[in-house]
Amino acid sequence: MADGRLERILKRLGDVRGHEARAALALSALFFLITATFYIVKPVKESFLIGARPGWWPFADLATALLIGLVVAVNARLLDRLPRRTYLTASLLFFISGLLVFWFIFDVHQKSLYSTPVADSSGVFFLLWARMMIWDHFPVFVIAFCFWADIFIAMSVTQFWIAVNDAFDPHEAKRLVGLFVTGGLFGGIAGAAAAALMTVARLIPPEDLLLVCPFLLALAIAAVNAVYAEKRRTDAVAGDERLAVPAKVGAWESFRAVRNDRYLRRLAAMVASAIIAGSLINYQFKWVVMSLFTSGQARTSFIALFFLVILAVSAAFHLLTTGRVLKSYGIRWAMAVAPAFLLAVSATVFVIPLGLLLAWAWVARGGDKMFDNTLGQSVRELLYIPVSASVKYRAKVFIDVLVNKIATGTAAVLWLVLNAWRVFEYRLDPLSVVRETGLVVLAFLALWLVLTRSVYREYPAVLKKDLGRIWQEGRTVIDAHLDEKLVREVFDAVQSRERSTTLYYMNLFNLVRSKNLTPELQELLGIKRNELKARAMDALFDVGAAGGLYPGLEETITDAEFQKEIDLIYLLPAYQKIMDESLGRIIDSPSEVERIEAANSICRMAPSPPTMDALARLLQDASVEVVLYALNGASVHRRPEHVPIILRHLANPMTIVEAQTALAAYGPEIVGRLAPLLRSADEPLEVRRAVPEVLARIGSQKAADILVAELARRREDMEQALIDALYKIRAERARVRFRERDLRPELRFLIRKACDAVLGPPGPPDEARAALIIRLRRVFDLLTLLYPREDIINDYQHILQGTPKSVDYALEHLDNLLDREDKELLFPLIEDLPDGERVLRLKRALRLK
Amino acid sequence: MVIKTRELGNIVIFDIQGEIRRADTIQETLHSLVEAQLDRGRRNLLLDLGGVEFIDSFGVGQILASYISTQHLGGKLKLCRISDKLLLIFKITMLDKVLDIHEDCDRALESFGRA
Repeated sequence: MADGRLERILKRLGDVRGHEARAALALSALFFLITATFYIVKPVKESFLIGARPGWWPFADLATALLIGLVVAVNARLLDRLPRRTYLTASLLFFISGLLVFWFIFDVHQKSLYSTPVADSSGVFFLLWARMMIWDHFPVFVIAFCFWADIFIAMSVTQFWIAVNDAFDPHEAKRLVGLFVTGGLFGGIAGAAAAALMTVARLIPPEDLLLVCPFLLALAIAAVNAVYAEKRRTDAVAGDERLAVPAKVGAWESFRAVRNDRYLRRLAAMVASAIIAGSLINYQFKWVVMSLFTSGQARTSFIALFFLVILAVSAAFHLLTTGRVLKSYGIRWAMAVAPAFLLAVSATVFVIPLGLLLAWAWVARGGDKMFDNTLGQSVRELLYIPVSASVKYRAKVFIDVLVNKIATGTAAVLWLVLNAWRVFEYRLDPLSVVRETGLVVLAFLALWLVLTRSVYREYPAVLKKDLGRIWQEGRTVIDAHLDEKLVREVFDAVQSRERSTTLYYMNLFNLVRSKNLTPELQELLGIKRNELKARAMDALFDVGAAGGLYPGLEETITDAEFQKEIDLIYLLPAYQKIMDESLGRIIDSPSEVERIEAANSICRMAPSPPTMDALARLLQDASVEVVLYALNGASVHRRPEHVPIILRHLANPMTIVEAQTALAAYGPEIVGRLAPLLRSADEPLEVRRAVPEVLARIGSQKAADILVAELARRREDMEQALIDALYKIRAERARVRFRERDLRPELRFLIRKACDAVLGPPGPPDEARAALIIRLRRVFDLLTLLYPREDIINDYQHILQGTPKSVDYALEHLDNLLDREDKELLFPLIEDLPDGERVLRLKRALRLK
Repeated sequence: MVIKTRELGNIVIFDIQGEIRRADTIQETLHSLVEAQLDRGRRNLLLDLGGVEFIDSFGVGQILASYISTQHLGGKLKLCRISDKLLLIFKITMLDKVLDIHEDCDRALESFGRA
């Protein structure tokens, strides 16, 4: 079948994409065959076990719990030594031979019930001996069969997920988990249906059901080989060497992997509590079945029918609900559904009458099985996604096999203890036994529920553990390495040597007074001059004779006494009086340098009305250089009457930065004056666009509120400036709070605009992609206001430039962080999808035709 | 200041001539040209300063603003053929710690591929 057609068919059951189709189909078939086998084996196992005394029941589980460590160790050795394909094939062959052996044992036992063992004429003494052995020790064989069945299901399911991990990366596996679970459920239904039909119709005795299974497992071997053949083919194309390096999964390594990881410890505890509760519910169920069914055939039929119904309900539940619960409510609530439901059902056992006991047992055991087959299975696999690949194999083997079986053993011990405690015969009625056990069940269900929260709390932390920064924000790098204002002042000082020595020394004086200059900078500026360096600098900047007018003055400027003298001069009343009278004349000078020097000096003068008037005029000077120095003066004096003049300079790209700096120096009191500008139709767009940066530099709560309110007006021409400003406030002002109810609608609006960039009229693909990236950047910038900033930035960086695996983690992290509606629209934009698929998903999310 | 842009593969090269400094007349700034390339989806930008004689504080601001905008989108901005004079000031003011400066443009172009 062509890949495209296969993909279309599989798409109805799960999110399958192109190259995954063949391997996904083979794995689904494998899971189908494994669970079909298991659900044929299971009624046989349960029937034989229930047929034994209740006191024997726990020993099957105990045997598994005690011997599972040995099985894990042997399995680990095989897993390490054999190629994965050979290992899985060999395992399945082992289980096939086991089935044939147990069929022989049960067949011999059943025939022994109505025939006398004799040595026939051919002298087959072995068969006679075997018959005697089986007859005398049948319960031991039943327990051995239960142990074998437990090993079969635990190992085959774990091996199946190992194959999934081999074939797909975590994000692919997450998408395909629903398809695999569907395959498993239908396999279960088919197996249980076959068992029920054959036993109800009395076509074959129960033990002969086991003869069906080897055929299914032979097909499973074919499926395994198909998976790995397909994987080899796709890896050869992609140059992927993952299969060549299998992880070591020894029992000790597995234990250490879980012990050393807090998340895995909690996960193991959660799984253990769930298994203990589920096993005790199973014992309650068995007790009820034992009390009501006495014939072995009837029991087998009932149990097969029970599993058939539960699997059918599970399949319906899975197809209708699992995906939706996970998608809509996330892993957090999906984890809690099963323990919450079982807690409610288990609590009702204390109020139901005896007549409803079978129905109750159906609901309790059925509920446990249904959730285990559907949501539980999916959630368990998803919880392993954040675990690194090397640890995952070890942890999975340890938790899914060892912890699972030890928990089953613990439940068995609890059942034995409860049995031993039942000393009075009247307490052996079904209701009493089920209720007494129910108390313990409730305790473990409550523990399970608590642990789901605990695991979920760790889950995002584990996801983001490997999501470090790919690149540092430009502003962060600059702030870490240099003082941008100082650099600009140094460049201005150097440049001013060309204009006027006086201006140069003025700048030098300002620099020395306000900054702690490094020795290199002092050298550059001629302070503490190293003659060779100074000459080199003079030559470099071509200052000619200008540097020679006041030789050695650079040294003087650094002198504290000299600086004090200058300060005193500025404070002299006579100086102020003279300057008040003279400034008007100086600023009318045709010499640009004189006006610059005046603007520079005003920074240090007292703010008398004539001085401030002169500053106002200098702020309106025709020379950009004069304005630049005047803006610096305005930022020192911060006079309200200068604000309208400064605002005009926001429209000029040559003065915008200094004008913004000057306005920001006014501080929070200017915020009220800036707010109306943002929405004033009279102001040029350049001015309005420059205002958000000023508000961001002020960084008060009121400034942030104004920016958010302005964003809500949804003016396209202001959007980038407003988001940049809000992003800056979030980065630099931890105390500023953003209200979700104000930002959420704007976030959704931005996401929808990003969707429009994809759904809009088709243009050149490069331009469409560029537009989408710019839109997404705005979305993520806004997300930093609602969610932890560092996490959002990391997720964004990995989605943009991460490895396939880190992209998966980032997506998974966002999946657990973001609001459901936001995710519905955002994920089709950020996931790696073919263009057609992306458009289709967006249209679906936007409910477009 | 005259800025010409050309593309070499996925790299946009800005050939800058003259002085990156404040002018009395409003003109297109380096930062606005860089932003226009970022809006077009270009992420690898190279400033060829071979023809630049001087940079004032405005020019420094333009280069730093271009660097911030490029980094914000996960892009790379590099400088090449910076004059000895400017390189000395860049070093002393530690701008070389922030900006990726290459002696010649071929090496700068190669380094885009390596990163």
